[in-house]
Amino acid sequence: MLEVLHSLLFSTLDAAPALVFAALGAMLSERAGVVSVGVEGMMRTGAFCAAVAALVMPTPLAVLVGMAAGAGIAAVHGFLSIRWRSDQVVSGMALNLVAMAGGTFLLESLYGPNGTPAITQLPRWNLPGLSHVPLLGALSGHAAPTYLAFALPVLFHLLLSRTPLGLRLRAVGDKPHAVATLGLSVPALRWGAVLGGGLMAGLGGAVLSTAVLDRFEQHTPAGLGFMALAAMVFGRWTPLGAFAAALFFAFGNALRIGLASSAPWLLDMIPQGFLLALPYLLTLLVLALQGQRGHAPAALGTPYEQESR
Amino acid sequence: MGERARQMLPSVLSVLLALAVCWLAIAFTRDLDTATRAYLQMLWGGVGNWPAFLDGGSSTAVLRPLGEAAMKAALLTLTGLSVAVAFKVGLFNIGAQGQMIWGALAAALVGAHVSLPGALHVPLALAAAALAGAAWSSIAGILKLKRGVHEVISTIMLNWVAVSLVDNWLVIGPLRAVAEGASSITGTAEILPTAQLPRLLGDSSRLNLGFPLALVAALGVWAWLTRTRSGYETRAVGLTPEAARAAGIPTLGRAGGAMALAGALAGLAGAVLVLGTEGRYPGSLGAPYGFDGIAIALIGNNHPLGAALAAVVFGILRAGGTRMQLLGVHKSFPELIQGFALLFVAGRMVWLALLERRQKRAQAQGPAQAGVEVPRA
Repeated sequence: MLEVLHSLLFSTLDAAPALVFAALGAMLSERAGVVSVGVEGMMRTGAFCAAVAALVMPTPLAVLVGMAAGAGIAAVHGFLSIRWRSDQVVSGMALNLVAMAGGTFLLESLYGPNGTPAITQLPRWNLPGLSHVPLLGALSGHAAPTYLAFALPVLFHLLLSRTPLGLRLRAVGDKPHAVATLGLSVPALRWGAVLGGGLMAGLGGAVLSTAVLDRFEQHTPAGLGFMALAAMVFGRWTPLGAFAAALFFAFGNALRIGLASSAPWLLDMIPQGFLLALPYLLTLLVLALQGQRGHAPAALGTPYEQESR
Repeated sequence: MGERARQMLPSVLSVLLALAVCWLAIAFTRDLDTATRAYLQMLWGGVGNWPAFLDGGSSTAVLRPLGEAAMKAALLTLTGLSVAVAFKVGLFNIGAQGQMIWGALAAALVGAHVSLPGALHVPLALAAAALAGAAWSSIAGILKLKRGVHEVISTIMLNWVAVSLVDNWLVIGPLRAVAEGASSITGTAEILPTAQLPRLLGDSSRLNLGFPLALVAALGVWAWLTRTRSGYETRAVGLTPEAARAAGIPTLGRAGGAMALAGALAGLAGAVLVLGTEGRYPGSLGAPYGFDGIAIALIGNNHPLGAALAAVVFGILRAGGTRMQLLGVHKSFPELIQGFALLFVAGRMVWLALLERRQKRAQAQGPAQAGVEVPRA
């Protein structure tokens, strides 16, 4: 029993970082008022570029390349939605489609259908003293992103709630005109948040191809970006909430895979499809109960126009 | 330039630019000659291999590609209409995929387990699919109207729930076809012959009643939006909800109705897939037609007939795309074209600014206006 729990925790902590980073990235962008449905495409681009880069450079550097690639895609989103005030959901979905088909096309023409060649994974760290403690031992033996995934939500929380920059970012998502009245640039703040969100989503994707797997595959990230979006909403657009929701989703996934291997008899009683649907059903239920008005940034999805009031 | 032409121009230019960009993509990853031949293959595969037809006179060379293109166009038209109808009332329906899944399942069940004469069987299966899709989309509609849950999030969630429940449980579990003989079947039981959509060009082409059905649906949605009171009210709610409410239009009812209609159209797409070509709910629905619907609706400028036109164009490219594999170009290449086209359409404002500047230069002063109807998601 303890062993099962241990392995569940371990695989949760392995799978969670990608989701946590992407959810934080989406949150950063949305708190500044720019919808972030393109996060799946940013993750895919980050995962692909990190895997390709890792073929020619050390893997940790390749992760940075993946982050930059995510920011590159986010820049297109920023150009369309901030500079040209396009519909933000449309622009995001377009980027998802391009990343989906473009990733497939480039993968096939450069490496063949089975994915990139294997790369060196990010090194795993053993925490001395912890490895043999029951349950807590599951904390040991992960790659750096896992530990970063615990630190960053706290950092984001402090940034948003304790610093002037955080205050401005939140204000630009709620009342952009008030921010403009203070003589601050609404577009500059939104650009910063969108690019920062792209860096985070790119990191989330890069983690998939460099730490979870050791290559980029056709189906990476397989909807994780949309799941990150759900985690962000579930977590009410807060860093710590998004973190908790992402952990919950990752645990749900680990539970399903873990159950299939360790307790097949349970699957005879509860169909696997139902277990698969559970995190999404729960999200819907929570959203239905709490209602969503009042949590989303007030100016979310509204292009900023100086003249309009 | 007429008003209608100016509305269409950004979409047309976007598709052309996407074709050019993707042509360059092949030219860079392979070479110029391959790119040109691949595009020719795509054209022949989509509109029929006319050179082969004129050479040897085999009508299959033309009918088969046309049938494939029409089949793809039918699905894209219906999912595109689904997204467009929701847009008209200001809602972004990302859930066409999930609605299509339930529609396909309902059509497969009615098609296989109800026995009726053909004249009744097909309409009943279509109606069941439309109802199933409408029921699924109404969950998102109700959550939006009653609890303020953003439809983008709820429809994405509902997509996952539909895939999980149907593809990963019902179809491989309780509803799986009972295998006859040694062959193991994936998917549900085969539909009865009475439930099949009739083929229109005989056995040489898979063109079936689904394509005319989709076109009729497009015309119907267009007529409803422009010629009826409730359609007019629906558009009014989408454009300015406050003014519509002040004018006494039941805004909640119109929004809910549009969302239900969107689901019904996506459900019909599922029915056309099952009754027209697959013959059963397959192991999984395969291509994400629901997501394609988003691209089709937006490239078609949210106009029902525009969506049908965009669906025909991309149906042709899709059908032709499979032939590009002969040259080693991946069959999902048309999706890349579609993605870029949507990206350029998302930059509609850029196009309009460019066009406006051109126009201003042409005539010293002109009433240039950006007459676009971009719904707020």
